Amino acid sequence: MKQSGDRIRGARLVVLGGVAFLAAGCGNGQNALQPHSPQAGSIATLWWIMLGVSTFGLAVVVALLVASWFRRDREGRERPATVTVVVLGIAVPVLVIAALFSYSDIFLIRGTSAPSPTSLVAKRALKITVVGHQFWWEVRYPSGDVVTANEIHIPVRTPVVVSVTSSDVIHSFWVPELNRKMDLEPGRTNQVEIYASKAGKYRGQCAEFCGLQHAHMAFYVFADPPDVFARWLRDEARPATRTSQLFLDRCSNCHRIQGTPATAQVGPDLTHVGSRTTLAAGTITNTLAHMEEWIAHPQAVKPGNQMPELHLTDAQVHELATYLEGLK
Amino acid sequence: MTTTVTERVDRLERMWVERPGVLGWLTTTDHKRIGLLYFWATLVFFGAGGIEALTMRTQLIEPNAHLVGPTLFNELFSVHGMTMIFWFIIPMTTGAFGNYLVPLMVGARDLAFPRLNALSFWIFLASGIFLYVGLFSGNGPNAGWFDYVPLASKVFDPGRNIEIYTLSLILNGISSTLTSANLIVTIFKLRAPGMSFNRMPLFCFAFLAASLGLLFALPSLTADLVFLYLDRNVGTHFFDVAHGGSTLLWQHLFWFFGHPEVYILIVPAFGIATEIIPAFTQRKMIAFPLVAIAELLVVFIGFGVWAHHMFATGLPSTTLIFFAGATAMVVIPSTIQVFAWSTSMIAGRPQFKTPLLFIAGFIFMFVVGGLTGIMFLAIPFDQQTTDTYFVIAHFHYIIFGAAVFPIFGGMYYWFPKVTGKLYFERPGQISFWILMVGTNLLFFPMHIVGLLGMPRRVYTYPANMGWGSYNLVETIGGYITGIGILVLFANLVVSYFRGAPAGHDPWHGPTLEWSIPSPPPEYNFATIPVVSSPYPNWDHGDRERDGKRLAAGEDVHDQGHQQPISALIDGWRVGIADMPHSSPWPILTAFVLCMMATVLVVEKFVVAGFLAIVLLLTLLGWHSKEPQEQ
Amino acid sequence: MSEITAETLDPRARERFPIGWWGAAILIVSESVLFGMMIGTYFYLRFRNLRWPPEGVPKPHVLVPLVVLGCLIATAVPMQLASIAGRAGRLRPTRWLLVLSALVGAGYFGVEVWQFTQDLHTSTPQRDAYDSIYYTLLAADHAHVAVAVLLVLWLLWKLRHGFTRYRTTALRAIVFFWHAVIVLTIAVILTTLSPSFT
Repeated sequence: MKQSGDRIRGARLVVLGGVAFLAAGCGNGQNALQPHSPQAGSIATLWWIMLGVSTFGLAVVVALLVASWFRRDREGRERPATVTVVVLGIAVPVLVIAALFSYSDIFLIRGTSAPSPTSLVAKRALKITVVGHQFWWEVRYPSGDVVTANEIHIPVRTPVVVSVTSSDVIHSFWVPELNRKMDLEPGRTNQVEIYASKAGKYRGQCAEFCGLQHAHMAFYVFADPPDVFARWLRDEARPATRTSQLFLDRCSNCHRIQGTPATAQVGPDLTHVGSRTTLAAGTITNTLAHMEEWIAHPQAVKPGNQMPELHLTDAQVHELATYLEGLK
Repeated sequence: MTTTVTERVDRLERMWVERPGVLGWLTTTDHKRIGLLYFWATLVFFGAGGIEALTMRTQLIEPNAHLVGPTLFNELFSVHGMTMIFWFIIPMTTGAFGNYLVPLMVGARDLAFPRLNALSFWIFLASGIFLYVGLFSGNGPNAGWFDYVPLASKVFDPGRNIEIYTLSLILNGISSTLTSANLIVTIFKLRAPGMSFNRMPLFCFAFLAASLGLLFALPSLTADLVFLYLDRNVGTHFFDVAHGGSTLLWQHLFWFFGHPEVYILIVPAFGIATEIIPAFTQRKMIAFPLVAIAELLVVFIGFGVWAHHMFATGLPSTTLIFFAGATAMVVIPSTIQVFAWSTSMIAGRPQFKTPLLFIAGFIFMFVVGGLTGIMFLAIPFDQQTTDTYFVIAHFHYIIFGAAVFPIFGGMYYWFPKVTGKLYFERPGQISFWILMVGTNLLFFPMHIVGLLGMPRRVYTYPANMGWGSYNLVETIGGYITGIGILVLFANLVVSYFRGAPAGHDPWHGPTLEWSIPSPPPEYNFATIPVVSSPYPNWDHGDRERDGKRLAAGEDVHDQGHQQPISALIDGWRVGIADMPHSSPWPILTAFVLCMMATVLVVEKFVVAGFLAIVLLLTLLGWHSKEPQEQ
Repeated sequence: MSEITAETLDPRARERFPIGWWGAAILIVSESVLFGMMIGTYFYLRFRNLRWPPEGVPKPHVLVPLVVLGCLIATAVPMQLASIAGRAGRLRPTRWLLVLSALVGAGYFGVEVWQFTQDLHTSTPQRDAYDSIYYTLLAADHAHVAVAVLLVLWLLWKLRHGFTRYRTTALRAIVFFWHAVIVLTIAVILTTLSPSFT
């Protein structure tokens, strides 16, 4: 019977297979092991160190189990091994855990936590507010009174402090390639820092179960060169120039378009919805066809979300979609 | 007149005979029968939890699947978590293994409160039926097994789903509390003469630790559930931020219970492991006192770490660091035990029969899960991986590996004792290997896919995230695990009908249950054994003396339904108690309680009040007859 | 090693607490933790709120609750004496002491229920988290006092035919429960009155 030999071979296969599979997830924009900030980078490095030490620890235990298999059907030894237990079971773990605790919970945590509000970093940082809703993200830029949804733009290599809260249930703001997650709680404001070292598009997703469409509550963070970001912010601050009567009749109960009489803020602000890359909080890409599909049957695209079926005609759907796609 | 051994044993048999038929089972107070009732009931719930899991895994086999929509999926993952924790592991360990084996291991004839034991079972069964009637009627709990507010409040969850959640858990909690009380008093007061605390088997230390843990942890959950029920149905504001309440209050109360709960899940399994290892290595456990203390310490320290489930909620850094420090401390009792087990296996003469294979597998899985658990004490890492599949991997390695594997090993180990038959070894080993492969395929990729950004509790996921291949492997692993479980139980069923007779002691086991026939007689021990070590069945001199004492009529206690009572620390004899036998009151009381819970779902408070009076009257009836005087 | 038989209880040991008493002890531990969590909830909510009690809710009256609490605390004496008399087998003193305690306990319960209904005129548990925890804590405590009184009444009924070992154990367990209820009530009353002390 080759139980333990098989076991070692099996374990090795799993590790190798795992590494191979790892390659498959690269480039999805939401990979904690592809960090693009100092914070996410330090966490990823910590992970690799912990993985190494853990593999060694597991190997020691597996070696003991394998050794016991080799000892089967041989006379037992009476030599007491309490010292082994004390050394391996107490002394070594105490040292390893003390080291891990000191490094991560006294040193590293300072970098991943949001800067203290009175510090220079905090004072100079770009401030954004994110309010969680079932099932979308309200994004506000206080400077310039910009309101958008499900997309965050930030200047690259600039500290950004995001203040997060919720309007309904608990959500969690999580962009793994940039930093740890932070919960959004009603009646409470938390803060998390995001800092992108490299320009690019990073995906985030709600990380606290929030109801029927928790699975479809994603968002994107675009880190742009500062001038590109500034231009974006200016564009976002401009009100819309065209108004749609159909929109005012059927959509303005929930949605705002700045520069028009539609001012409700129940659902996402749509002033520049045409320029967003996705719709329905990252569920579908933003094309005319998808926009029509969404307006016509929101409950089919995202069953259980807060936008009701509107029972519009095809012509109405097309008119609204064209209007909204034009709001760039 | 001299009486012979046969006459004494006959008299014992007559004193302890059970009522025949179904009525006998409904009114039983015998710990072995109640243990078996728990065993079968929990297996049904285990099956349900497994079907829930496989359904979810099938839905997740590929991106954007449409097998199950979000409404059902949310109920599935919520009820799966609740079922596996509260309706499988806890009742299987404390209710089935604890009930059946603790009296046998301490040398007693029953638990301290036999009718209370029956009540525990019937309330437990009622709570499970309550939960599943809720699920099948479309009102299954749907906010997760930890049910965070405000999602679980009336505003966001207006149906009856959360009433099913709160009330089924309150009933279940009452059952567990009563079982814990019973096990604690049994371990304290019913140990055989000579069994001082340092001579108590490690299995009993583990069950004492788990019972004490349940006793101190459950009230926190109860308070939380009562507050939630009141918020939803009476209009209070415990969790309502707009009126001075706090959403984090729910989490603090929940996790103050919830973290000790997870230690309670695995400590009895540790107890099973610490009996199987000596039996299959024929060697005493290394560092016995350290292991005994470690079993108690892990639950005790486990009460101080609860906010490590809340690292992402925005608590102040100082708070986070305190809880990370406490979490660091709780690791040590576990590492002590891991190395005690492993070195005991090497130092002995291991026989890798099926039970020991499951323990070897358990040690491997527990270490994997424990290592990822240690990683979580690094707060920034926790804040990256909490609420992702990485956590799901961690706790399933611990729960499936460290709780379920020993349970399976224990089923094989004690199968001969309970049934009187030997199981078939080859299929047993095969079932182990299928389960090892299945569970590792199922849970290992979850570590990776969590690091790749997949959050938990999602009913589907997009196609371009690179998560699909991992999910596919996991689902295949899930089905293999299911097959392994089926092979295991098929083997046990066939062995029950076709196995060879086992005799008293097929393993030369260390503890007292192996000194009596298989299956044990109703009265367990014809003469109460005298104990001088934690491995009493290996003390052949003591067991021979027991035989002589039976012949001399000492400590037989056949004049009634009798059980000796002992002193707390040293096990010295202090009295004889007359035990209750066969009563309808437990099942009646459980029925009334279940009715109360049912009317509370629909807010019929007056009816509930009336039923409370009925409950008091039932309790009066329960206590109307007194035990016989000695 | 000395032979231990049914006839010879071990001379080294004497039974301090019968298993019925242990059962009561475990129940008391469980209830104490429950109250501990509720009291913890009270203070958690208190320190998260700037105004406690909130605007418009008067601070609790202290005189009447403290006086009746004193009466309840005083019943610890007759109850303990009843336990001692019971173990000595003296039936009539035991019965009278139990009756006295039950009357005072029932009186306490009555006054508290009256106070509870009076409070409900000024604010209800549906008003604010303060009221929610205030009324829930008190209701839970009053329920335990009621149960304790009912247990004493049941015991008096059982004792009408004299003592047995079962009834003596029941007496000791119920006296223990009564003492525990007094301690829990002190904690609960001081907690719910705490805004008036600061």
